[in-house]
Amino acid sequence: MEKRRLPEPFMEFEDLRQGLTAEMVTPFKQHVSDLLHAHDLIYEQKRDALAAAAVGSLPYPPISAAARELLQSGVLCVLGEGAAPYHPRYVAPDYARILHEGSPFLELKPAQTLFDATTSLLTAYKYFPAGGLPVFIGRLDELLEPYIDTVSPETARQVLKSFWLLVDRLNPSGFVHADLGPAASKTGALLLDVDRELGTITNLTLRYDPQHTPQEFALQAISNALGVTKPYFLNHPAMAADWGEDYVIASCYNALPLKGGIYTLVRLNLKRAAEMADDDPERFLDETLPEIGKNWTEVIASRARYIIEDVRWFEDNFWIEEGLLDKHKFSAYAGVFGLAEAVNHFTRTDAHPEASYGHDKAANRLAERITTRIHEVLEDNPVASCEGTDGKACYHAQVGITSDLDTTPATRVPSGEEPELYEHILTEAPTHKWINGGISTILEFDQTAAQNPAAVLDIIQGAFKAGIRNLSIGSANSEFVRVTGYLIRRADLEAHKAEKALRYSSAALGSGVMENHPNHLHRIPRKV
Amino acid sequence: MNDPLGLVNHILNKSFVDGPGNRAVIFMQGCNFRCLYCHNPYTIQYCNACGLCVETCPQHALTLGKDKIFWNEDICLECDECIRTCPSSSSPRTHSYTPEALWEQISHIGPFITGVSVSGGEPSLQVAFLAQFFQLVKENSTLTTLIETNGFAGPQAYTAMLPWLDMAMLDLKCSHPRKHEKLTGQPLDSVLESMRFFAAQGKLQQVQQVIVPGFTDSVEDMQRTAKLLAGVDPEIRLRLLRFRPHGANGPSAEWQSPTDEHMDTLVETARGCGLKEVERSL
Ligand code: SF4
Ligand code: SF4
Repeated sequence: MEKRRLPEPFMEFEDLRQGLTAEMVTPFKQHVSDLLHAHDLIYEQKRDALAAAAVGSLPYPPISAAARELLQSGVLCVLGEGAAPYHPRYVAPDYARILHEGSPFLELKPAQTLFDATTSLLTAYKYFPAGGLPVFIGRLDELLEPYIDTVSPETARQVLKSFWLLVDRLNPSGFVHADLGPAASKTGALLLDVDRELGTITNLTLRYDPQHTPQEFALQAISNALGVTKPYFLNHPAMAADWGEDYVIASCYNALPLKGGIYTLVRLNLKRAAEMADDDPERFLDETLPEIGKNWTEVIASRARYIIEDVRWFEDNFWIEEGLLDKHKFSAYAGVFGLAEAVNHFTRTDAHPEASYGHDKAANRLAERITTRIHEVLEDNPVASCEGTDGKACYHAQVGITSDLDTTPATRVPSGEEPELYEHILTEAPTHKWINGGISTILEFDQTAAQNPAAVLDIIQGAFKAGIRNLSIGSANSEFVRVTGYLIRRADLEAHKAEKALRYSSAALGSGVMENHPNHLHRIPRKV
Repeated sequence: MNDPLGLVNHILNKSFVDGPGNRAVIFMQGCNFRCLYCHNPYTIQYCNACGLCVETCPQHALTLGKDKIFWNEDICLECDECIRTCPSSSSPRTHSYTPEALWEQISHIGPFITGVSVSGGEPSLQVAFLAQFFQLVKENSTLTTLIETNGFAGPQAYTAMLPWLDMAMLDLKCSHPRKHEKLTGQPLDSVLESMRFFAAQGKLQQVQQVIVPGFTDSVEDMQRTAKLLAGVDPEIRLRLLRFRPHGANGPSAEWQSPTDEHMDTLVETARGCGLKEVERSL
């Protein structure tokens, strides 16, 4: 039986200036009808897809012809945000304020106990003002530690377990993200413990600082990562050097200011961009990238302006009025992906097929030059609304979506082509240097690692010294696979293939990625 | 005085099973035991440049010099034809290093490792070289140093490296004197002296033993081993490694690998004899 094609979650229309045109009404209705009838989407997923289709029917905010061309040819893309953004893509509310002072809008009093605190957080997540899902649920250890001793240790574990279960069941997605560390705490250790027990896919990051994260806490986190592929290990000193202490990690691995937000994520497909420069890498660096940079930031600025001035998102918004978010801490992502293909486009020749990213000094050097050049281009093209990052778009390495057939996420070496472990780290580390808005390198180990988590910590520390900002650690035979930035369970992959409805919307997304990139299941595990 | 040269069979840039943390492991050429189940017989002898292997190399990666073999690593396929040919349990694929050259190579991966382990073969056959190498490691880095040794060389062999040595991992092949001699070709006494010596120095990181059918796999064998160790210090960590016939030579290739259940029984036996820390390989 031929596999039925799932309706795409949103629709792009041919002419960005017009949005839905008279000729497109019939296919649009068909799309809506397909969504209504989809058997493998549950109610919420249908509703979200319908909303996305509605937004997709509007014209894009005004942009120049050149920018439109780049969007239409796929060099730039807005990644499922829909044509007209009516909310920021990500926000990072100051949940501590809700716990300390309560929230008039949510009718919450200041929290007194662990019960109050977890109830208030779950309530706040429900009203998360961006993206349909709370992609940032707080620095949970810091938030809950003041309440952990308000109940007995046994009760504390039970409460955190129920809380963690509800976080997943009420917000079923691999893009829901909590932060831990750098300090150890009772709450942090308990959360790692219940996370391991429950096996949910809520994303987690440990902000690791060799000076402040105790070895024991780090080893607990590594043992978890080898079992359930999280938390991420974030190079906190490197991030704090750019952001100060008040930043968070949300969604996949995205960095943004605490109390701030990200209006939009506009992606640059480096493979397509490279093809615009024929075979000349110098032309790519000196002409193509600066040229694209103007239109790229123009699209970012126009989308941010739409949210701020057209939709007037900051007005009549309790998150702003209650001081939970701060307009001056907002920015937008300029995301890149397909670096490997861009580099290989220039370095791989018939005579030197092996001269590719990850395996060739000149290729690696070019990768570093490209990522540096993009940083300069973003510096040269300020976006006034990106106040949260000094008036410049925030540089981000984007992990890719189902339809990215021929590109590798972010700045990674393609899965299955990874060189020897240290070489792999040393290849990708220089590309982390300027990309402070979120990036990660994925390392998978074989099962001997579980017997010696301290050895994995050595490698993490070495990677951080080399300049890696963020590592996804996992083991090759885990039930949990890091698709690109979020997690998916192997069982969900199978269910999706069998066209069963899934609780996790991100699993459907992940299954699509996996079908197009089965190599994510064949990363090279590190034998030790 | 010239620096002593170290003869190295190969170097592993990362290992999770050769001491604490992630370690570089340097496998030295040459061994003074002849274990019945040796998995790496090509590390036992020094090459005598007889030249026999040169002809068999399909890649022409080997050439015979005046009194040594030259090996062209770049074209070698690692097919192992040369070591199968060698009548002397040696290998033409070794490297000589000065202590400085070896440190230079290891220092590049320093950020990723916690320390350096030397193994073999049997590293205690090259103690002068190792003492200088360990000194360089300790003087130029915060890496830890570890020797994985069979202990046969006796305490005096290790004294030169002692100031630069953090830990020793002692391979106790068998705790029964007669069986030890049958298994390894050498007597047990000096092995035990070395073990006591390292323990007295506070440098005995671990004792390990391969669980081999007929030599170390009975409950009585384990009781004897564990009591011996507990008598020295109940804090000594014992790690039991499962014998695997794959890659073993001669009759030992027919021997059975102990089961998971049996490995667990032996771990319990050792604990029952007073050892506090006993673990086993997967
Ligand atoms: S392993 Fe030995 S025989 Fe095989 S190619 Fe290398 S040198 Fe030649
Ligand atoms: S490795 Fe063996 S066969 Fe080859 S030259 Fe040396 S002793 Fe002879």
